[in-house]
Amino acid sequence: MRIFDAHRLLGSVPGDHVPSVDVAGMLAELDRLGIDGAAVTPSHGLYGDPAHEHAAGAGHERLTTVPVILPAVPGAGWPDEPGVVVESAPAMVRACPVRHRFALTGPVALRWWHELAAAGIPLALDAHETGLDRVGSVVAAVPRLRVLVLSPGYRCLRELAELLDVHPGVYAETGTLAAAGAVEWLARRCGAHRLVFGTGAPVWDDAGPRFQLEHLRLPDADVELIAAGSFAALSRGESS
Amino acid sequence: MSPVVDAHGHVGGWADFFVPEPDSAWLVDVNAEIGIDVVGISHLVAVGRDTVAGNELALAEAGRHPGRVGVWLVADPHLPDAVALLRDQLDHPGVWGLKLHPDTHLCAATDPRYRPLLELAAAAGVPVLSHGQTGSPYSDPADLAELARRHPTLPILVGHAGLWQEGFDRAARLAAAQPNLYLEICGSRLTTRWLERLVAVAGADRVLFGTDACFLDPRLGLGKVRLAQLSDADRALVLGGNAARLLGRRLIIASQETP
Repeated sequence: MRIFDAHRLLGSVPGDHVPSVDVAGMLAELDRLGIDGAAVTPSHGLYGDPAHEHAAGAGHERLTTVPVILPAVPGAGWPDEPGVVVESAPAMVRACPVRHRFALTGPVALRWWHELAAAGIPLALDAHETGLDRVGSVVAAVPRLRVLVLSPGYRCLRELAELLDVHPGVYAETGTLAAAGAVEWLARRCGAHRLVFGTGAPVWDDAGPRFQLEHLRLPDADVELIAAGSFAALSRGESS
Repeated sequence: MSPVVDAHGHVGGWADFFVPEPDSAWLVDVNAEIGIDVVGISHLVAVGRDTVAGNELALAEAGRHPGRVGVWLVADPHLPDAVALLRDQLDHPGVWGLKLHPDTHLCAATDPRYRPLLELAAAAGVPVLSHGQTGSPYSDPADLAELARRHPTLPILVGHAGLWQEGFDRAARLAAAQPNLYLEICGSRLTTRWLERLVAVAGADRVLFGTDACFLDPRLGLGKVRLAQLSDADRALVLGGNAARLLGRRLIIASQETP
């Protein structure tokens, strides 16, 4: 079974010293846990200023770079136009409306989301940062936009299930769905094709979700979707 | 082979958020699948609103699943006859000790109202597991260390090792400095990296595996310990060796009973 972690940070993080400070350290972590590949966000795109700091890609075949974009008026964000994102055709982009203080459903960002949706590029939003309400607002405004909800946590399962019910373009990362039986409950309700294995490492734990993947009480086909298939379909632009 | 003992579990629903699998049957079944021999629970009715009824529910769960479910009796500092009630219940088979929820009960762990309950535990020779939360006015690990100093024969387990990452290092140093203070590790913020650091600073003999089931999925908690970079000896202590030593004859394990 191929296992792909759809949510990892590459680089240093505040408040800790982590092995995944570079590509070699990241790969060693993946090898230790038996994870084949990962979608990685450069940490300075998250914790730095995307308007002025731009990273090269991770540069390894096992790693898929998820750049942090910042839709804003020209000169205050990055890149200047959504067409630049579309042209580079990333597997997914990440945006941080609360951390980077831009309006997720303001006129500038909405224009970006429409362009990304038309190009089939999914957007990752961290629910721990944005809350599920903002996710709901953006997919209500741009129904064709596909959104991967990172770090949804275990306390908002009712809201998350409703979001998945109403918006077929929303997917949820599993790593923080930590309540007893939460992954199976959501898989049975919404379909395993809506759930994406991801951990948020190194800030969040990766070992527990990796172990859980081996012990999910779901059909093998569903586990394979969660482990890698759902993200592959999401990044290929296939509708759920 | 060393037992695998989940030192921190619950059963029951919870008002603040939805728990898909709140029942003991699911928990016991999953634990058997993944290799957790026994879990010590407090019932969430006892944690949340009715200590007396909730503790009875927990005892009933232990009766339904002997050697698979142990009981932490929730000690309510507001209940006038708590000591008398708990003294009787401590004799029930499968009872492990007392559980403190200072934040839920809005009573600091160091408050004098907890003193008779702690004295009861010390006299009965049972450990005390407390919710522990760095920065909380009720259950900061430093306050639990103070309890350990006041009651030097009483093993005190800092639940969640203080819960927040920014407090883990301090909690480990507090445990290293106080022989009867232990760290129980359940919680969504702990990573294998932090677990390895807790063991390095506090010592493997001072760290206990816990999952916080059914709030949290036991597969996540066990995975952290199974996949952490610990020696086999240290892992065995964390997974159950320390719990077996602290609980002594009170630890009944179904999978190790002679048929």
